[in-house]
Amino acid sequence: MRPVRVTVPLVALVLLCALEVSGQSPGGNLGAQSLRPYWHVFAAYAIAWLLIGGWIISISRRLSKLEKRPTD
Amino acid sequence: MAGDRKLRWTGTGLGILGVAGMVLLMWQVAFWVPTEATMGVVQRIFYVHVPAAWVGCMAFGIVALTSAVYLWLRDERLDMAAQAAAEGGMVFTTVMITSGPLWARVAWGTWWTWEPRLTLTLLLWFIYLGYFMVRASTENPERGKRFAAIVGIIGAFNIPLIHLSVVWFRSLHPQPVVVKPEGPTLHPAMLQTLMTGLVSFTLLFFAGFLLRYALEHSIRGEVPTAAPSRAHAYGRPDTMEGVS
Repeated sequence: MRPVRVTVPLVALVLLCALEVSGQSPGGNLGAQSLRPYWHVFAAYAIAWLLIGGWIISISRRLSKLEKRPTD
Repeated sequence: MAGDRKLRWTGTGLGILGVAGMVLLMWQVAFWVPTEATMGVVQRIFYVHVPAAWVGCMAFGIVALTSAVYLWLRDERLDMAAQAAAEGGMVFTTVMITSGPLWARVAWGTWWTWEPRLTLTLLLWFIYLGYFMVRASTENPERGKRFAAIVGIIGAFNIPLIHLSVVWFRSLHPQPVVVKPEGPTLHPAMLQTLMTGLVSFTLLFFAGFLLRYALEHSIRGEVPTAAPSRAHAYGRPDTMEGVS
């Protein structure tokens, strides 16, 4: 349940930012560019969140699991 | 295990600060920073690409330093630090080499080109992949640690080459805009956003580094090592309790 509670707001935040960026004028020439750059920006930030977040969360989970294990 | 707990709390604290910094970065990138005139919106990848590159190189610098001292002292803590830094370095370098092509596809019209900086960066990524492969490839763990330390040191020689490759060779990659003799030539808002990214990524790296170190320490605390370390022979303790 905990990962869902963390992941959903993060994905929502990234989507919100992507939508906001897509609404801005790229160098004052809105008609000249396709939607591709916006998706690339979104993908770059999503990958960063997923990789860094995934790394830290996986370490935390392994640490918690190790702590919960009964010591002989 | 009081030392481990302290590391965990410090790591968690840094992680929370790092996430707060990342949220601020997202806000700045989406609502605050001006759009670059020639590249347009895709230039915003810069605020994730450059911090990831900085952290990736810093992490591998830590790997080289701790590995060199490990080879001298044979202190387990240094090997654990090198391993934790290498893991973080791999994560951030992967962010760098995936965000770069996403920018390049729009800016250059191609995902990848074999120009010096890109090639050397990919080489760095493979060297540190080799770091983990070498570590796991020997039956004797002590030998694996020594071999990995040597790979870690050799790999770090690539870092100054990556930085200077855009100056030394004819390169497609943009020239430095921050680290240059005459000072940064970025718009102040862009520089501020970049700084937010640099600080956030650095905090997140050290959060992961400390947590990974604590994890490795807990794991190795349960499994006795094959040989006593040289540091132990010098009278230095092998555990974090000794230093805290």
